[in-house]
Amino acid sequence: MSGVGGDSNEGISLNLNPMLDVFSILITFLLMSFSTDPVNHDINKDVTLPESKTFVALDEVPTITVSKTEIYINERKVANIVQGDAEEKDRSQGAIFPVFQELTKLADASKKSMTASGGPKKKNPPITMEMDKDHRFKLMKRIMLSAQQAEFVSFKLMVSKEM
Amino acid sequence: MAHHRRKKRRKLVYRDIELNIMPFVDVFSMLNTFLLFSAVFISIGMIEVQIPFLSNAPPPKKVEKTRDLDIKVNIAADKVEILTSWTAAPVDEKRENFPLTEAGMADMHNKLIALRRQYEDTDKVTVFSDDDVIYEKLALVLDTVKLRKDNEPQFSEKDIITGEKRPGIFLYPKVVIGSVLL
Repeated sequence: MSGVGGDSNEGISLNLNPMLDVFSILITFLLMSFSTDPVNHDINKDVTLPESKTFVALDEVPTITVSKTEIYINERKVANIVQGDAEEKDRSQGAIFPVFQELTKLADASKKSMTASGGPKKKNPPITMEMDKDHRFKLMKRIMLSAQQAEFVSFKLMVSKEM
Repeated sequence: MAHHRRKKRRKLVYRDIELNIMPFVDVFSMLNTFLLFSAVFISIGMIEVQIPFLSNAPPPKKVEKTRDLDIKVNIAADKVEILTSWTAAPVDEKRENFPLTEAGMADMHNKLIALRRQYEDTDKVTVFSDDDVIYEKLALVLDTVKLRKDNEPQFSEKDIITGEKRPGIFLYPKVVIGSVLL
């Protein structure tokens, strides 16, 4: 007596060879690009970094993040950006007052920790800046001016590095 | 009488040996998932710059006048100008313009290499930019001024701490954004 539906005892076997091929190539690629660099930073979703041929890798987490619509300092929002510039209420003498305020707090905290540790007085560390590539220099100048008034004079501008 | 038992000859039965690859597939898929989540597809770099430092301290009374080369880079929306002048007479000011394109920046880079070759002690460039220049273009100009490729001449730079000269990795290590002034 034949079974319903044709021949009996014939199983369908899944060919895993192509899948293993893909997996092994994918793993080889990912292992080669895997980085154990401790500095890991997720770029803000509203920021597109400009490209650069620089060979200096990121070594600090950004202090200032300038997205298309907001300014953050240490992941804390301090100001809004309207039509590519800071809001008029935040502007003061060419700088951005909330940015100056927040950076002054950082500078004071840094000085206090240096005093507490009893070490020699050092100048403020560089500020790492993550900024969207389509912003004008005018906005960058305002932020740098605010930092200058808070006694920060060195900057590390984040860029998208060519691999 | 010994009965010789007829030895049964065992027939050799060839069976297909199947390798169980399911654990292999499990490991591969877990490893793939982990690596895909941690993969970095955009590498992030940095360009170091400085801005003029404001100081309340009075300027030193005795200033020895030395004749040093001053290199300024002025960035406009569509062009970049290199302005060289001396800090003491004869000032001998020279200007050269380059279009703000990849080709223009390559020419400007060659000009800067020639300048550095001629005046190796001058390791600082001051960059001025118009307000409407976009950051992407500014980054391109900073790359052109600062970076040195592997096949280009290497210039020495002073160690900040020891003051000793050592082979530098940048064309012009000190880049100051001069537009930032109160």
